[in-house]
Amino acid sequence: MLGPRDRVIGQMYIEGDLRVGGVLEGEVEVTGDLEIDDMAKVKASLAGRDVSIRGHVNGAVVARKRLIVARSGSLIGDVRVERLVIQDGATFSGQVSMGPGASKGAPAKPVEAPAPPPAPTPEPEPDAKVVIAPAEKPMVTAPVIPAPPVIKTPAPVAEVRVAGKDGRGKSAPPPIQRKPDKNKKKGR
Amino acid sequence: METDGQSDSKRDGQQKFTLGPNDSLEGKLTFGGHMTVNGGHAEGEFRIGGNIEIGNGTVVKALLEASNVTIKGEVEGRLTARDKLTLGKQAKLNGDVQVRRLQIEDGASLNGYVRMGDFEQQAPGS
Repeated sequence: MLGPRDRVIGQMYIEGDLRVGGVLEGEVEVTGDLEIDDMAKVKASLAGRDVSIRGHVNGAVVARKRLIVARSGSLIGDVRVERLVIQDGATFSGQVSMGPGASKGAPAKPVEAPAPPPAPTPEPEPDAKVVIAPAEKPMVTAPVIPAPPVIKTPAPVAEVRVAGKDGRGKSAPPPIQRKPDKNKKKGR
Repeated sequence: METDGQSDSKRDGQQKFTLGPNDSLEGKLTFGGHMTVNGGHAEGEFRIGGNIEIGNGTVVKALLEASNVTIKGEVEGRLTARDKLTLGKQAKLNGDVQVRRLQIEDGASLNGYVRMGDFEQQAPGS
């Protein structure tokens, strides 16, 4: 559950249900049900089993079972669903693909969530050993895992919170550590 | 809501045109009143000043334009509802849709692009 003051930006994969009350940007995949509350502002592609929208959503939606856009809801984006309910008063614009199987062609396979990103990299090239990631090497020195982008996004959030906890114990160190960084950057 | 609309139409004294199971309509129709298709065969281009209702089990292949459109049967073709489009439980709609308000009941099936908003923007994009 993300409360009305919470904010998430990045890629999320959740085993289970999710209820969003705040700001959400990026990409969200939920194996269970997804609820977007009245106050929520979502700019993300969403995937879930039952998806119900009562807030503002801008992005594609895949519902493996049913999508409900309530009267207070507004959805702008393409939709792949098995069943669709739109209540009077709701706002909706986008392409609708509907029926059994419509949601299957989408990137909504729950188990392989981390898989899609690496999929493009292993192109069947002749030099199998060197291939690993010619494009990735300059970016990330470790050529091993194609999955890290998933983990990276939440990481900065976690760091910030940890810093906050440290700050309670020893108020001085964290700011001191940061200041030199800023100074260095400025110096350059 | 729907029944209200019907009784209103009678009060309006607006003409009402009903296509029954043994009727057939093919071609271009422009009509100021309300139109109901209940069974029968309807194909073409219908521009209606009032409301259109497509009854249960009725199949219509047409470009439809009306104030309120209520679909309980099957429709194939572009559709414009100047006010509201309602898809009933058994409804099937295949085609792009422009509406001001939209209500889809559980069980209805829709395939196409939905554009919602006022009609001044009647996108001459094509």
